[in-house]
Parts: sequence; structure tokens; C-alpha cells
Amino acid sequence: MPENAPLIHICDDWISITLSDRESVLAAQAAFAASGGWTEIVPGMDSIAVQFDPCMLSPDDAARLTRHQLKSATSVNPESTTMVTIPVCYEGDLAPDLAFVAEKIGIETDAFRDWHTSRPQQVAMLGFMPGFAYLESPDPSPAIGRLADPRQLVHAGSVGIIGRQSCIYSFDSPGGWPIIGRTPLLLFDPAQEQPALLSAGQSVRFETISRQTFDQWPRTTAK
Amino acid sequence: MSIRVLKAGLQTTLQGDPFRGHRHLGMPSAGAADALSLALANFLVGKSSGALAFEITLTDAIFEITEPCLIAVVGSAEFVRINGKGSPQHQTKAVVPGDSLHIGPSLAGCRTYLATSAEICAEKLLGGKSTYLVAGLGGFHGRALKDRDIIPFLRDFSADNIDLATPPALRPHYSHDHVLRVTPGPEGNGPTEELMRHFCHDSYTVGARASRMGMMLEGAPLGAGIFSNMPSAAVFPGTIQLPPSGKPYLLGPDAQTTGGYPRIAQVIRADRHLIGQLRPGSRVQFVQTTTARATEIYREKLSLLSSWLGQIDLW
Repeated sequence: MPENAPLIHICDDWISITLSDRESVLAAQAAFAASGGWTEIVPGMDSIAVQFDPCMLSPDDAARLTRHQLKSATSVNPESTTMVTIPVCYEGDLAPDLAFVAEKIGIETDAFRDWHTSRPQQVAMLGFMPGFAYLESPDPSPAIGRLADPRQLVHAGSVGIIGRQSCIYSFDSPGGWPIIGRTPLLLFDPAQEQPALLSAGQSVRFETISRQTFDQWPRTTAK
Repeated sequence: MSIRVLKAGLQTTLQGDPFRGHRHLGMPSAGAADALSLALANFLVGKSSGALAFEITLTDAIFEITEPCLIAVVGSAEFVRINGKGSPQHQTKAVVPGDSLHIGPSLAGCRTYLATSAEICAEKLLGGKSTYLVAGLGGFHGRALKDRDIIPFLRDFSADNIDLATPPALRPHYSHDHVLRVTPGPEGNGPTEELMRHFCHDSYTVGARASRMGMMLEGAPLGAGIFSNMPSAAVFPGTIQLPPSGKPYLLGPDAQTTGGYPRIAQVIRADRHLIGQLRPGSRVQFVQTTTARATEIYREKLSLLSSWLGQIDLW
């Protein structure tokens, strides 16, 4: 861990730990998961929370355990996680905001898919809904904001972009991210032992597929 | 082996224990909004505290019994009628095929639990069987029940002749006015002590669009403008967020796992089951306590309940 001690705040039966960067969050997540004792371990963008059973641990003991386990946190090597390839169709009604986003970036519409697939991405965290992934690219990006009017329905698999972040919707839902494509992959399958396709810290690469490939992609029973 | 839904009402779902240990995947807890009323109902039919049961919201609901079994009703319903005849809550009742079970609307409070001795047939996913509506998973086809649904039962273990009534002292009081104890959230301490003082001074009214995900609290706007959005961070059922509008937002059992608004307070675990009884128009007074005291209160509450319910857990 970096020398500056993380800020710990106890809120009843959970503890919020503010950390300096993404690597520290991933390292803390791995350390908490390895040590055990927590009912939930939830990474945020620059923080992580652990929940405990107040019948088993007092808040003070839980805070002590947190500090102790954080000491053993060592940075997770991004190279050690497998690269996940996400096929995306960047065409037509699957990419309703692509033209507007390409214009913001200052590239031709046809060049957008190459721009997006060439950017390295890392899963920052899951949240919002089961399996919904927030991805972050280290490469700079022009400011792309939320839609002024959120859509009532964004289809599962839709890929959104806001600034350096991309996201993948795991279920049909309302949403405000500009949508630049859609993957046929199932992001969350509760019947699986590992229900989420992605997890925090994973490296992701987008890969262009045609509309025909998208339509013919074998679907498992989504929802 | 089944129970037939004649009138499903506003929102009747199958709920029991929450999903646990999946919040890092974005999977909310779901589960019964009022864990205590659920536990009391389940106990009366010989089931474990978090067994799957019917969670009925605000309006009335009518069921037709197609199987002899035991039932118990605990919650905010104004009345319970079996074949038109009044039947008290908090008691084990034996019902037979053809019986019509009418659970009345809530006059105060919001949710009522119908427990059955027969086990409700539902697929176990992610270690749980509760309904999570947003993703359409769990419970009965992942959705709220509709009129004419037939909910299958697996089997009835109630060989023993159970006939119980909740001790009067343990029966919750369902009211329009609630006191919820809170500890300061990660963004509710330090320089913002003033904010907590205001938050716990004024009372709030639950807004019209209350749901299992959460509810807006109407009242004097709180520190509007002093907070901006922050990087997304973990939230839990019972977390109170402060959006830029200054109107606090109280998260319920279906709350998403992370959020970008300051987390000013956390309803203590001992009081969290009360969130399930908040309805639009309910008055809420927040009272600040310490984390050490919150743990004592939780342990005392479980100890009191254990004299009747045995080992249970609230969430």
C-alpha cells in the first residue's frame, strides 16, 4: 500500500475505505477477499466498502481487521488477468449515438469503430445493475457527456461512452449514456457459478463484428 | 400443490432472505423489505426466518387455497378474512382447498407477509430465491404476481400440528410516524456535522414515488449546493444519499450497489426492517447514534427476539 494511510469510516455495519488510486482499490479487494470475514466487499471508483455481521464483530474490531488486512494488500499485476474480448456491432440502430459521438471526437463516422477498438480498456467496477460494467481507458478522450434526455429503454448489451469511460448495459433499462454499439454477449447469467462476464481489474478489448455476425450470434437464455 | 392468486394487488412478490455476497457484481440484496415481519410470519408456520413468502404492498390481495396447509399473516394489512370471516394476524391458521384468503389493504405501514407451511417452488439463483424485479430474476419468473397466477408448492413439511400466536409484546406496531436511528455516512461526518444536525432535527415525509429501490424524503432542503457528485462508491440498503436537489434519498432493499451522490447517513441495522413499512406520506424522524451503540441495539434486539424466534438475523 502507499504510505499515506487510507481514510477509514465506519457506518454501522459497513466500513468505507478511501484509497488513492484504482490499483489500491483492486489490491484491497484481493486482500479482503483472501482474508475473509466480510459479508460484502464492494469496490468503488476510488474507494472500497466491506460489510460485516455486527453479531460476529464489533465496529472497532472490524476497523482493526480492515487496517490489518490492508497492510497485506499488494498490487495486482494487470498483466496477470486474462484479456477479455468483447465483440461489438457498431452499426445502424444498434449504435444510435455513434455519429454524434464521432463528431465530438472529430473523426469520420466510419473511423469510429477503429478508434474505439484500438483503445485499451480496464474494468473499473461493476455497479448500477447486475453485471453492468464501467470500463476506463487510459487514453485521453474529448469530453462526451450524458444524453440530455435519458432513453426510456436501452437494450441489454448496449455499449455506451462518456469521456474516457465506456460501459456495457447488462439488462434492458432506462439509461443516459450515449450508445455507440451493442454486444451479443450475455453480461450476467444468474444460473452460472460466475454470474458476471466481467470483474473489476480485467483488461478488455472491443472487437468489431458485422450486423450479420451479431444477428447470428448464438444466444443463451438472456432474462 | 399450489396457491392461486385471485387478486395480486399493487405489488405482490415472493421474498425471503436477501442475496448475499454479490454486491461487487452489481447484484443488489433484494429480499423481504421488512425482515422482522417476515420472520414472525414464517415462525408461525414452522419455517426458518428467511424462508420465501408472499410480500404484499399497500393494496389488498386475494388468494385461493388449493391445498391443505398452514398459513400466517403478519404486517400492515387492516384485516385478514378467510371465506369472508375475520381472522386475526399473528396466528397459525389451518386452511383447506377452496378457502378464499383476503388480505386487506394497509391503512398505516406498507407491507404484509403471507407465510405458508408448504414450501413455495422457486429456482435458487445466486444462493437465494427472492425476487429482484429490475433484472427480472428470482421468485416467480422474476416478476410481481398477477391475477390468476398459480404459484406451485414443492411439499408441506408441517407434519407437526403447529398452533402458535406471536406474543403481544413482540407484535410490531405499524404507524404513519417512524423514528429511524442513523450513524453518519462517509460523507456525513467531519466538516459536515452541521448537516447531520439539520438532518436529524427536521422530520421528513416519504415522497410519492417510493419503491423497493428507495424513496425521496420531502422536507426542508438540506445543504443544497454544498455537495457535488463524487466518484461512484458503495451504497447499501438504508444508506441515505444527498443529491444536488438537497432532498435526501433513502435506499431500500433493491438499491443499486454503487452510487455517485454523497452518502450522508446510514440507517442502523436494527431499524432497517422499518424501511419496508414506509409508504408515500409516512413521516420519518432521524435520530443520530454511534456505531458502538448501533451494534449494542442490534444485539439487544436479536436477543429479545430470540426468546421467541430463536437465532435470527435481520438485514
